[in-house]
Amino acid sequence: MAPGTDGHSGADAAGGTAGTPGDVRAGAAATDGGTARDTTGRATGGGLLGVGFRSLLKREVLRFVRRPRNTFIPPAITNVLYFAVFGVILGDRIDEVAGEPYLLFILPGLVVLGAIGNAFENSSFSIFHGRWNEYIHETLTSPLSYSSMVLAYILAAALRGIIVGFIIVGIGLLFTSVPIERPFYLAAFMLVVPLLFASLGVIGGLLAEDFDDLTVMNQFILRPLVFFGAVFYPLGSLDPLYQTLSLLNPMVYMVNGVRYGFLGFQEVDPLASLVVLSGLTAVVALVDVLLFRRGYGLID
Amino acid sequence: MEPAIYADDLRKAYGDVRALDGLSFAVDRGEFFGLLGPNGAGKTTFINVLVGLVHKDGGTAEVFGYDIEDDYREARDRIGLSPQEFNVDRFFPIHEVLEHKAGYHGIPQGEAERRAAEALKTVGIWDKRDTRFDWLSGGMKRRFLLARALVTDPELLILDEPTAGVDVQLRRDLWGVIERLNAAGTTVLLTTHYIEEAERLCDRVAITDEGRVVDVATPDELRSRGTDKVYVTLADPPAETPALDIDGVREIDRDGDTLVVTAGGGGRVAPALLRELEYAGHEVVDLDIRRASLEEVFVDMTRVDEEAEELGVVG
Repeated sequence: MAPGTDGHSGADAAGGTAGTPGDVRAGAAATDGGTARDTTGRATGGGLLGVGFRSLLKREVLRFVRRPRNTFIPPAITNVLYFAVFGVILGDRIDEVAGEPYLLFILPGLVVLGAIGNAFENSSFSIFHGRWNEYIHETLTSPLSYSSMVLAYILAAALRGIIVGFIIVGIGLLFTSVPIERPFYLAAFMLVVPLLFASLGVIGGLLAEDFDDLTVMNQFILRPLVFFGAVFYPLGSLDPLYQTLSLLNPMVYMVNGVRYGFLGFQEVDPLASLVVLSGLTAVVALVDVLLFRRGYGLID
Repeated sequence: MEPAIYADDLRKAYGDVRALDGLSFAVDRGEFFGLLGPNGAGKTTFINVLVGLVHKDGGTAEVFGYDIEDDYREARDRIGLSPQEFNVDRFFPIHEVLEHKAGYHGIPQGEAERRAAEALKTVGIWDKRDTRFDWLSGGMKRRFLLARALVTDPELLILDEPTAGVDVQLRRDLWGVIERLNAAGTTVLLTTHYIEEAERLCDRVAITDEGRVVDVATPDELRSRGTDKVYVTLADPPAETPALDIDGVREIDRDGDTLVVTAGGGGRVAPALLRELEYAGHEVVDLDIRRASLEEVFVDMTRVDEEAEELGVVG
């Protein structure tokens, strides 16, 4: 907080206050004060999950729901291609991996890939676009608390990621039957992972200086991590050195967790992964709130 | 009761530029208050401090007694802002943009829809409700910004150049709406380049320059500080400019059969002026007083300040 903003008593506020040269005559021409409105008892947007929060959440969800050509169709097409090429055309020439047909082995990874990409894109794009055209001021100048704002952006973006996850599973079902061996883990990972990337997307949207920055984040950071995240191969197929290196890639734990949920196959402890990812999500979300509170990238 | 706006020693610098340099003034509840000043005087910066779009470096600002940082939610909820720049959600038809904005202020959906419809009707663009902002004409965009400011039923309406680039008819419409709101008790803070608008509408105005308030007064008071011109037409052109010893007269010029008397407070000077002239044997056939406009006073005040600055007298 800026120095000198504290320690002011509201009582000082009455009367002539323009400490400037010249005769101030405060109140000399004030219209009849009797007509001034009573200003108590306003709603101020409600609590953390109040009307204000729900309005922003609704706005954020409607934004992507109404633009399926930009939000749902692209991952659907991409994944039809993945399944057709990697699953069917190449998959027939690849032996079973971890006791599963190759198509089924890659499905969890593709679900994660689609879910995190869309979760990240939604919050980063929505915030960046609002900054670019300055209409994020509509939210910023409202009485919403910063926690409510951030939570609405994150939940909406995570929801888009989860929906895309469902779409990808749906497409998978066109090619094969999809088992769900560990429903709890599947649900937990499919909640936490999109939440984490939705939270990261908030930071991305605040950091970006132009639209290219968003592309860079997606192409040069997200995508390599995903492709080296054991989506298309099991860790066990790598040399020990690369296996160890892979453990530094957070994507490995997410893909492993979701794969455990679907297929019951694991190479890293899914419970430990879940705990670490949940903690990480909480930390990133907290950073989001702090950045909003500071107005980072949002205000002068 | 706390004033609608209280600002004390507000400071904000961008590098070497001091956008706000100790800005202080107060706006009473229910007032129609004008903020005048040349470009770069800090008007928009000040407004943005109030609504939370600019972090102040120092000083205090309160809205209805609520500190704009410590009680930011209370303060922001009471403000409706019609900004200078178009900053409207591009993804939604305008009636939904209003519903969302109302929602952010805690107004439930049904009520938000009713208010959005009312606001659009108030500014006369109800038939465009399903259009997106980008497809509105320039005048309609201005109308919409006002509707968005109104939809939350603010107690303080802040209008930053609300009639910039707007035709006469629309300006009249917008002022009609705003004056009705003010009559109903809404406090209005206005910045405008059209000084005659401020002169006509505002209870008081603050003249700002270089991030400070130079003066606060009613438009009448400010005008009375300017110099009026009294035109006295005589039946016979005088041979020479008569010497008149009257309080307030600063200068007398002769233009054919007309004397142009420059004076502070033309109305006060005129009777004495007539008496003196008739006493001296002149026959007065016409009298015209042109009062200094607020614009002239404004230009004087801000220009003098600049000159003083250059001379190192101020700051």
